[in-house]
Amino acid sequence: MSSSVASLLPVLAAAEGGLNWQGFLFLLFAVLACSLAVAVVVADNVVRMSFYLVLSLGSTAGLFFLAGAEFVGAMQLMIYVGGTLVLLVFGVMLTAQEPFVAIKTPVRDKLLAGLVGGALLAVLLQAAVSGPAWSGSTAEGGNAVASSSGQPSATPLGMALLGVRVDGDVASGEQSPADGQVRSGYLLPFEIVSVHLLVVLVGAAYLARSKRRKSSGGQGGGASTGGMR
Amino acid sequence: MNLLFDPVGVSHYLVVGAILFTTGLVCMVVKRNALGVLMGIELVLNGANVNFVAFGSPVLRGEQASILGLDGQLIALFVILLAAAEAAVALAITLNFYNNYSTVDVDRADDLKG
Amino acid sequence: MEVQSDLGATLATLLGLAWLIPLGSFAAILFFGPKMGPHGRNAAWVATSAIGASFALSLIALGTWMVSHPPAAVEHASAQHQSAQPDDHSPWSPPRDGGSVSATFARFAADASAGESHAAGESRHGHSAHATGGDAPTKPAYSGDWYSLYSSPTLVLSIGWYIDSLTVLLFVMVTFIATCTHVYAVGYMQNELHDITDHEVTLASGGHLHRPGRYPRFFQGLSLFCFSMLGIVIAGNLAMVFVFWELVGICSWFLIGFSFERTSASTAANKAFIVNRVGDVGLLIGLMALWGSLGTLHFGNTVTVHADGQQVVRPGLFSLVRPGEHGHALQVPDGMVVAAASDRVASIAAGNSAEEAAAEVAAEVPEWRAMGMGSWLLVVAGLGIFCGCMGKSAQVPLHVWLPDAMEGPTPVSALVHSATMVAAGVYLTGRCSPLFTPDVLMVIAYVGAITLLLAATIALVCTDIKRVLAYSTVSQLGYMMLALGVGGWVAGLFHLVTHAFFKSLLFLCSGSVIHACHTNDMRRMGGLLKKMPYTGWTMLVGCLAIIGAGVPFVIGFSGSYSKDSILAQALVFQRINPSHAVLWYAAAGGTALTAFSMFRLWFMTFVGEPRDEHVAEHVHESPAVMTVPLVVLSVMAVIAGWSLGPLGVATLLEQARPLGTADGLTGGGLLTAAVTVPAEAASHAEDIHFLVTVTAFATAAAGVLLAAAFYAWRLVNPAAIAALLRPAHTFLEHGWYFDEICDWMFVKPTYGIAALASANDRRIIDPIVHFFAWASRQLAAGDAWMDRVVVDGLVNVLASATWATGLRLRAIQTGHLRQYVMFIVVGTVAIFLLASIMFGTMVAGP
Repeated sequence: MSSSVASLLPVLAAAEGGLNWQGFLFLLFAVLACSLAVAVVVADNVVRMSFYLVLSLGSTAGLFFLAGAEFVGAMQLMIYVGGTLVLLVFGVMLTAQEPFVAIKTPVRDKLLAGLVGGALLAVLLQAAVSGPAWSGSTAEGGNAVASSSGQPSATPLGMALLGVRVDGDVASGEQSPADGQVRSGYLLPFEIVSVHLLVVLVGAAYLARSKRRKSSGGQGGGASTGGMR
Repeated sequence: MNLLFDPVGVSHYLVVGAILFTTGLVCMVVKRNALGVLMGIELVLNGANVNFVAFGSPVLRGEQASILGLDGQLIALFVILLAAAEAAVALAITLNFYNNYSTVDVDRADDLKG
Repeated sequence: MEVQSDLGATLATLLGLAWLIPLGSFAAILFFGPKMGPHGRNAAWVATSAIGASFALSLIALGTWMVSHPPAAVEHASAQHQSAQPDDHSPWSPPRDGGSVSATFARFAADASAGESHAAGESRHGHSAHATGGDAPTKPAYSGDWYSLYSSPTLVLSIGWYIDSLTVLLFVMVTFIATCTHVYAVGYMQNELHDITDHEVTLASGGHLHRPGRYPRFFQGLSLFCFSMLGIVIAGNLAMVFVFWELVGICSWFLIGFSFERTSASTAANKAFIVNRVGDVGLLIGLMALWGSLGTLHFGNTVTVHADGQQVVRPGLFSLVRPGEHGHALQVPDGMVVAAASDRVASIAAGNSAEEAAAEVAAEVPEWRAMGMGSWLLVVAGLGIFCGCMGKSAQVPLHVWLPDAMEGPTPVSALVHSATMVAAGVYLTGRCSPLFTPDVLMVIAYVGAITLLLAATIALVCTDIKRVLAYSTVSQLGYMMLALGVGGWVAGLFHLVTHAFFKSLLFLCSGSVIHACHTNDMRRMGGLLKKMPYTGWTMLVGCLAIIGAGVPFVIGFSGSYSKDSILAQALVFQRINPSHAVLWYAAAGGTALTAFSMFRLWFMTFVGEPRDEHVAEHVHESPAVMTVPLVVLSVMAVIAGWSLGPLGVATLLEQARPLGTADGLTGGGLLTAAVTVPAEAASHAEDIHFLVTVTAFATAAAGVLLAAAFYAWRLVNPAAIAALLRPAHTFLEHGWYFDEICDWMFVKPTYGIAALASANDRRIIDPIVHFFAWASRQLAAGDAWMDRVVVDGLVNVLASATWATGLRLRAIQTGHLRQYVMFIVVGTVAIFLLASIMFGTMVAGP
C-alpha cells in the first residue's frame, strides 16, 4: 500500500521506501487548507463561510506544526481559531439577518476576480518554485518533531524575546553571541504590541457599542421635537 | 514538475501560502458581505504567515541555513496578534456600518465615490 | 582796556536786546494777536511798548557810547598828515597836491589818544576793537559774533554785530521814529478794529468788499519790519545784512499790500518786491565778488583765541581793502589780485611745491597789483553793493516802486520812507563806502544827482499828497547818494538822520490830512489850517526842515545843516573836478525844486479857500494819539541838526567815519577819467561855507516864493502855466514815463516771451506729451490684451485641463471596496511583470 501510494505521489515516498509521514501530513493539511479556503470563496452563505474559514485556519496550524513551529501553531489555533473567529462568528450572528446571509455577487465580478486572481496565482507560484534553494529538505527526512533537537520550540522563542538567540546569527552562523552582547530581542516590541492590542480592543468596544437606542431615541426625539426646540 | 518529486521543502509551503493569499484576495474581491471581506483579509494574512513560518522553519531548511530563523516565527506571532486586533477593529467598523446603514453590503458603502 | 572790552559787550547786549524785542512782539502778535483784547486791540500796545523798550535801550546805548567816547568838536585846523604814504603803484591814493583841499581832517581817533586803549584783544568776549593799536589811526568800533552758523577757512557765516557810533545813532533814530509811528498808527488804524467795507474794491457781484479788520496783523508787520531794519543796522557781516535786507523786502511787501484786495495795493506790493529783487541780484553779485576773492564777509576783524592762548586775527573787509600798514589807503586786496591773476598763479603753482608757490605768489602780488590786476573786481563788488542799495533806496532807474508804495497805510509809508527801508540802502552805501573806488563813487554821485533832479521835477506836478512826498523822498535820497558819492560821508548820513525825522513827520501829517479828508487828492483840499491846526503847523515845520530853512549863519532847521554840508561837499568836488560841475548845479537846483514842491503841497492843502466843500465840511483835527507824535517829531525835525558844543549828530557820525576815507581819494578810473574825491574836511572851509549857505538860502527862498506866488497869493494861475507847458507837464505827470519805459522794455517782452513759451508748451511740448500718453495707452491696451488673452488663457487652459483630468479620474473613484482590492491585485501583478521584464528575473533568489 505504501509503495502504491508512493508511486502515486512521489512526494510521499521515503528514501527507505516506507510511507513518508511528514510528506503525507503536509499534503493532507495543505490540501485541506487550500480547498477550504476555496470553499470560503465559493460559499455564498456567510455562516458556512466562517465555518470553512475555521477549518482552513486549523489546517494551516497543522502546517505550522509540521514546519517545526509548534508555538506559532499553537498560537494560531488559540488566537485565530479560538479568538478571532469567535469574533467573526459574533459579527455574523449580529448581522446575519435574512437578506444579508447570502448576498449575490454578479457573475461578471466573479469572472473578473477569477481572472485576476489566476494571474496573481500564476505569478506567485512561478516565484515559489523558481527558487532552487527553497526546494531542499531535511537531510535525514525523518520525523520532523524528533529532528528538532528534542526541545520544544517555545523555549528558544522565549529566549529570543529576551534577546538570546539559540539559532545563532543568520548571517554569521554563530550559535551564540561571541562577545557576550545581549541583543535587544523582541521583548519591547512585544510589550508595545500588547498595549497596542489593548488599545485596539478598547477602541473596538467603543466603536461597536450599541448606538441604536441612543440614535433611534435621538432621531425620534429630533424628528418629533426638532421643531419645538 | 519536480515539486511533486522533491521532499517537502520551503517551496511547498510557498505554494500553499500563494494559494491561500490568492484565495483571500479573490474572497475580498468577490464577497459583497463585509464579513466575507473580513474573512478574505484573514486568509491573506494567513497566507503570509505560512510564508514566514516556512522561511523561518528549522525543519525545512535543508542544507542551507534558514533565511529568517526564529525571526520568522516571531513575525508570524506578531501577524497573528495584528490579525486579531484587525479583526476586532474591522468588526467594530462593520457593526457601526450596519448600525448606520442597516446593511453589511460593502457596495452600499460608496460615500467616497468621486 | 577792561573798560573798553566791557563797553563792547555792554553795547552788544543793549542793542541786541533792542533788536530782538520787536521780534518777540512779532511772534507774540503772530500767535496770540487775535486774542489780545477785542479785535486784537491790545496788539497795538504790545508792539508799541516793544519798540518803545527798544528805543529806551538804544538811548541807554547812546548814552553809554557818549560817556565812553565823547565826541570831539570838529576842528578846522589842518593836522599833520599822519598816514603812511601808500605805495606808488596803487591806482588810488589820497590827494597829495596841497592847497586847501588837502587839509587833512584831524581824525577823531588820532587825538583821542586812545591808540593803546583800543588795542585788539578782548578775546574773552570774542569781540575786538577795530584797530590794531600803535600809531595807526583808529576808530572806535566793536564787532563780534553771537552765534556761528558755519565756519570754514573760506567762509564764516555768523550772527554777529558791528557797532560804531553810526550803528548806535541809527538805532536811536529808527526806534524813535518807529515808536512815534506806532503810537500814531494806534489812532490811524482805528477803523481796522471793526469790519471794513472797502469801497475801492468792487466785487464781481457789484458790491463792495466786506472784510474783517486786520488790526493785529498790521502791528505784527510793523514789528517784523522794525526787527528787520535793526538787524541790517547791527549786522556784523554782509551775509547777515543780506538776510535782513530780504526780510525788509518781504515786510514791505506785507505792509504795502496790506489792503491786498485792492488791485492797486497788491500790484504795488509786487512791484516793490520785484524791483527790489532786481537790485538784490546786484547785491548778490557784489557779495559773491567779495566772498569769492576775499573769503570773508565780516566788516570788522575777527579775533579768535586758540587753546594755547595764541590770538589769530582774521581781517575783515575793511582791513583787507584799507590795510592799516598802508595808512588805510584804498588798495586792491591780495585776494582779489590773486583771483584776477589766476592764470599766472596756476603757472607758478604748476612748477613749484605748495609752499614755494605760495611764497612766490606773495612776492609777486605787489607787482601784479601795480599792473592794475584785480581792481576791476573791486569795482564790480562796489557796483554790485550799490546796485542793491539803488533798489532799496529807490535810485533811478529802480525808483519806480516807491511812489506806488503809497498804497500802504500812511504809517507804513512814513516808516518805509524815512527810517527803515530806504534808509537801509543809504546806510549800506555808507557802511561799505571804504570799499568803493573812485569809479564807483562817481557812479553813485551821478545816479544820486539824476535821481534828485528827476524826482524833484516830478514832485512839482503831482496832485496826490502822498506821491508828492514820495517823490520828494526819492529826491532827498538822491541827495544822500550824491553826498556819499562826492566824498561827503558824514554829510550823506547826517542828511539820512535829519531827513528821517522830518520826512516821517511830513508823512504822518499827510496821513492825518487823509484821515480827515478821506482823499489823497490835493486839488480837493485847501484851507485846512484852521480846522487842523496841529497838523498844519507841524507840517509847516516839516516843510521848512526839508527845504533847509533857517537864518543863515545863525540857526536853522535840521535840514539846513545836513543839506548845506551836502552842497558844500558838492561845491568842493566841483572846484577840484571842474568837469563834474553838473553835480553841484544839480544839487543847488534841486534845492529850489524841493522848496517849490513842498510849499506847493502845503499851500494847496492848508491855505486859501476850500476847493471842495463836501470834503471840507467833514474835516476835523485828528485825535491826540495822532497829533502828539506829530508834535514830538516836529520838535526833533527842528533840533536834530543842532550841536551842543561837541554833542551833535555830525560829530557822532564823524566818530564812525571809516578809516582812510577822511583823506579823500584820487585815482584813475576804469569807467571815468581820473577824479579826485576831496576830503570832507575841505568842505568846512570858510569860503565854501559862506557860498553854500547863501546859495542854499537863495534857492530855497526862490522856490518858496514861487510856490507862494502860484498857490498862496494866486498871482499866477498854475493851470495856465501847465497849459502853456503842456508837453513838459504831461511828461512830468507821467513820471518821465519810467513806468511806461519799464513796461515797454521789460514787461512787454516778458509777456512776449511768456506767450512764446506758452505757445511752445501748447504747440510742441503738449503734443509730445500727449503722444507719449497716447502711446502709453496703446501699449497698456496691448499689454492688457496680452494679459487677458495669453497669460490668462494659459492659466485658464491649465486650470481647465486639470479640471477635466480630475473629472475623468473621478470615474475611477467608485467608492467600491471590492473594486479597489481588484486594482491592488492588478497593480501587484503589473509590478511583478514589470520587474520581470526589466530585471529578467521573478525573484531575487539566493
